[in-house]
Formats: sequence, structure tokens, C-alpha cells
Amino acid sequence: MIDLKRNERIQIKNGSKAEVIQKIGEGGQGAVYKVHYAREDYAMKLYFPRAIKKKNEFYSNLENNIVNGSPNESFLWPLYITEMKNGTFGYLMRLRPAGYEDFSKILTAKVQMNSDMAIINAALHLVNAFKDLHSKGYSYQDLNDGNFFINPENGDVLICDNDNVAPYGQNVGVDGKSRYIAPEVVTGKSRPNVHTDRFSLAVVLFMLFFRGHPFEGAKTASHCCLTEQLEKEYYGVHPLFCYDPKDESNRPVRGIHNNVIRLWNMYPRYIQDAFIKVFTAGIKDVNERLTEREWTNILLRYRNSTIKCSCGCYNTFEDETQAKLTCADCGTEINRPLVLTINKNKIFLYPETRLYTYQIEDSQDLFQEAGMVIINKANKSLWGLKNLSKRGWIVEYSSGEQKSVPYGGVLFLLKGTKIFFGNEYSGEIN
Amino acid sequence: MGKYDNVEGIARRTMILFFLIDTSNSMSGTKIGEVNDAIEGVIPEIKEISSSNADALIKIACLTFSTGVKWMYPNPVDVNDFKWSYVNAGGMTEMGKAFEVLNEKLSRNEFMAEVAGSYAPAIFLLSDGAPTDEYKDAIEKLKKNNWFKYALKAAVAIGDDADKDMLATFTGDEELVLTAHSPEALRKVIRFVSVTASKIGSKSSVSAQTTNAKQDDFAEQITEFNSDLIDSQNDNW
Repeated sequence: MIDLKRNERIQIKNGSKAEVIQKIGEGGQGAVYKVHYAREDYAMKLYFPRAIKKKNEFYSNLENNIVNGSPNESFLWPLYITEMKNGTFGYLMRLRPAGYEDFSKILTAKVQMNSDMAIINAALHLVNAFKDLHSKGYSYQDLNDGNFFINPENGDVLICDNDNVAPYGQNVGVDGKSRYIAPEVVTGKSRPNVHTDRFSLAVVLFMLFFRGHPFEGAKTASHCCLTEQLEKEYYGVHPLFCYDPKDESNRPVRGIHNNVIRLWNMYPRYIQDAFIKVFTAGIKDVNERLTEREWTNILLRYRNSTIKCSCGCYNTFEDETQAKLTCADCGTEINRPLVLTINKNKIFLYPETRLYTYQIEDSQDLFQEAGMVIINKANKSLWGLKNLSKRGWIVEYSSGEQKSVPYGGVLFLLKGTKIFFGNEYSGEIN
Repeated sequence: MGKYDNVEGIARRTMILFFLIDTSNSMSGTKIGEVNDAIEGVIPEIKEISSSNADALIKIACLTFSTGVKWMYPNPVDVNDFKWSYVNAGGMTEMGKAFEVLNEKLSRNEFMAEVAGSYAPAIFLLSDGAPTDEYKDAIEKLKKNNWFKYALKAAVAIGDDADKDMLATFTGDEELVLTAHSPEALRKVIRFVSVTASKIGSKSSVSAQTTNAKQDDFAEQITEFNSDLIDSQNDNW
């Protein structure tokens, strides 16, 4: 055990020295300090001397990750590495900004997400981060409740512990937590890889949405002591999804798994089906696990068809054929609003619905807002779509009348209206 | 206002951290003072481990033994609500009696009756002497208790008069018996063992090949800590 003191100086490889400000945390592998380096403050993770088994391999993997750079902005990626000294070393990363909370605190309901929209966005951020990580040739290996943070206000995500990240097929000696890793890793048949990441991602998404565990139900609850042997059984050898359509023997138990029971039916069928696929066929067949792209499409469909009732509750239309829904909270009947179709996107236009940049131009940015549905102050039955994008739009109403809608301008939501977004993208409201 | 307004914390198992504390006469003075202060001081850390843990919440149970035994509270208490109540020293060392009542409480009809289930507990024994009562039958019975078998166990011998062989019988491994030769070392041991047991015991197990990875990991960390401790301490009681 080493404890660094304030003002102690640590040599950065190929650089100057970082100065310790204070200790900010401690985990199983090491301690995290706030340090000052090259006129900026950083977080420095310093390993306990015996925590890392294949030390040289681990060190050079970390160096490679630093050289290759972060896959996207959701990662608290290693930026500098220290020199090896007294059998230990560490790395510098960005400090976690204020406002980001441990995912585990959201699960334990110590912290509440601000809205359903923040939850959807958190899911999208996670999936997006893993898409970029995998497309760079890496796998993360041990995603669990302890290694990412969510901003409950908007769903922004920050993933830490990126020291275990390694190129496909390589493993730097990490063992994940049974509750989160893929069954073939629990049983020791496989080392972590892209497919096992995808399994863990589905577990974490399930927990984010349903606030319970996909493999915990009547079967697991029947054991008063969950020994390690039983953990192997229920997360590795014979995991059984609590909503397996063909086997009801591990259904959630009232009094224990209340969240899952209440929330499962509040989600549209296609989301349930996605989880069923991963957690039944996907247990054995890695190709049945949803790719990040598949998750993105499902989550975007969900976001596009989720509307906010005037009472504040979010509700989702399964598809355009659903004529109305009843608000899950206040019971108001809401008729299916007009739907704007832009290529594959079907956006249900209800007050506060957002239009996003990726829908109206060639962009990978799923979060940049490009428009919003607003209510006319004088006539509340008149709704409009406000242009928040950089380009001017041209609108053609069904009457044939044309109008230009610059940034900040509003178009009326009327059936049969066509919108040209100033590039090759266009859409129609119906 | 929404789906999540009435959301509860995720169903978590419970992990009970037991402190078994020798409060016989020889513990009077600095020893019991340090025990009180160190355990009280480590509670906030355990609270943090519990509150940021989606696998299990941690409860604390404390049994003191001298002439007779006494539970600090009638049932294990969520660490979030736990208040350390200072214990005093005086009397004999009825450790056998302590093993007997611990065995009774390690039952699903007693302390291990959590609706959402439990992980195996962690049990930490602190003593500076040897049992003054008949303890062999009691420890044999305790060793047959499955909760005890799966538990993470550690003991601290406070000074050289402690019966280390007996403590090793309790932990099942002499490596899990640490010796504190000074108040400073005792404080370090209490903190390290409590925090390490809480962290390992309250988490879903790691994906190793064995089915006692938690006990192995615990033993490894305790052994490593102990080797640093031996290097650093002078006899000071």
C-alpha cells in the first residue's frame, strides 16, 4: 500500500512531473488522486503494487491506448502514463466534471434521472460509445455498474476504467463481475471480447430501463444465500431471463423485483423483443446479441415516438397505426399526433418533441437539436415546428403555398406539409 | 409525473459484516479505546461502499463478549442507519459463548432472513487473550454452519497474549490472523479488514475458475497487507 502525500511529484513518461493535490478515491486495483500537470488538473489512477498481474503487458497496452486516442468524448481515456517506479505506475485522465453520478447510485435510487428522455439519451450515449470503441478495434471487457457515470439531467455518459480496454482478441488479465459479464466468461469458456461486451451492454441497458437484473427472479430469490457457486449457475451455466417467453420459472417476484414488474409493460413491444432476443437465444449464440447499430436504431425509434403529456409523463406510441394512447400517469387520452417522416425516421410531433441534426443532414450526432415542437401562445391548438438548425428550411403546405423558415422561424404543423431542409434531406408531415 | 416516480432501489442482497469483540478486562484502556475509535471511524467508509453498490447493501452486527455476551443491537442494522455505541471492557473472556450465539444467529430464521436474500457474511474477530470458557464444542459446531463456511473471516490478535492458534482455528487459515502490536497498527488493521471485507463480500463474484474466488481474493489482500504491517510495526502495547 502506498499513499501519496500532497505536493508529492510523480514522473510522467516523456514529460515533466505531476504534482499530487489530494486523494479522491480508492478501488480494488488502486487509488485515484487529483494531480496538477502541465497547467491543468487531472485524475491520476495509481495501481497498488501487486494489483496488476502481467505488469509489462498491461503497461504497454496502456501506452498503446494513449497513443491511439479516445474513441469518443464519452470516455475518460488515459492521456499520460507515469514511469514505472517501486513496482507500480499509473495514468492521467480528465477529471470527472460535476454533475455526473455513479450508475450504481441511480440503480440504488440514491440519485434520480431527471426524465425519461434523459434515460433514453443515456442509453444512446452508452451504445454510441461502445460502437465507436468497437469500431476502433477495441473491446472494453468488464462493463459493470461501477465503471461509468451518468449526468441525470441530460443523460450524458462518462466511462472510466479504460485501462482494461484492449485490442480484439487480447486480454490484459481482467475478470469481470459475474452479474454483468457474458455467461461464457462466467463459466471460463471464453475471455472477454466484442461479443461479451455486447452482452454486458444489454445487461446494463436492461438495468437502466427496468431497474432490476435480467436473470434475477423466482429462481434466484429461492436461495437465501447466493454463494459463488450459485452465481456461476445463474449468471453462467444456466442463466434464465426473467421474461423468457418459453419458461416462466424465473419471473420477477412481487415484493422483491417490483420495479421490473411495473416497468416491463410500460415499454413498447420492440424493446421487450430486443431484450428477449439477447437474453434467450443470445445466451448461447453470440450472433443473436444486438450490435450497437441495432440498439441505436431501436433506441432512436423509441425516442422519436415518445411524447411528453402535458402532465409531464412520457408515453410512447408503438407505431403510426396506433390511433391513441392513455397517459400512464394522468390517464388523459392522447390522439396520435402528426408524424414527420424523414427517410427512416418517423418523428411524432407533440409539444416539446425535438428534431435532431442526424435526421436532417449527414451527421453522426444523435444529440444535437435541430428543431422543437412548440405551442402557439395565442392559440394553444396551433402547434409549430421551430427551426433550430444552422440552415434555412423551405416549407410547402398542401395548399401549394411555399414559405422559407430561417433559423428561429416556425412552420405550422399541418397534414401534407413538406419540409426541405436546405440539402438533399426532406420530410413530410402526415 | 412519470414511469420512474415510484422507482425503488434495485433488488439488492444483503451482506452482514459481523464484529466479534473481546471486551474482557485485559482490553481496558488503550485497546478498547482504539477499537471503539477505529470502528466508529470506518463506518462512513463502509456506508459509502454500500450506497454506491448495486449488488448488495451492507448491514452491521456487533457482538461483544466478556463475562457473558451481548449484541449491540437486536438485529443487524443497515450501515446507513448504524450508530456505533461505545463498548467498555471488564470481566472474563467467554469466547465459547460468543461462538455459540453467533452460530444461532447464522440461520435463515434469525439474522439471515432477508427477503431479497444475502451474500455470505464477513466475520471479524478481535481479541487480546484466550477463551476462559469451554469453547471447543462451540467452534466445532460453528464450523459446520454453512453461513460460517462461506463467510469471509479474519481475526486480529491484539498484542502477544492473544491465543493465535485458536484464532486461526476460527478463521480456518493462519494467514487470516493479523497481529497488532500497537494502537496505530490496530487502527490500520480494523480499517483495512473492515473495508476489504465489505468491498469483496458485498460484490457479485469475479469470473474466476474457482467457486471461492471471494475468499481467495480476501486472503490474498489480507496477506499482502499483513506483510507490509509486519515490516512497519514496533511492539508498543
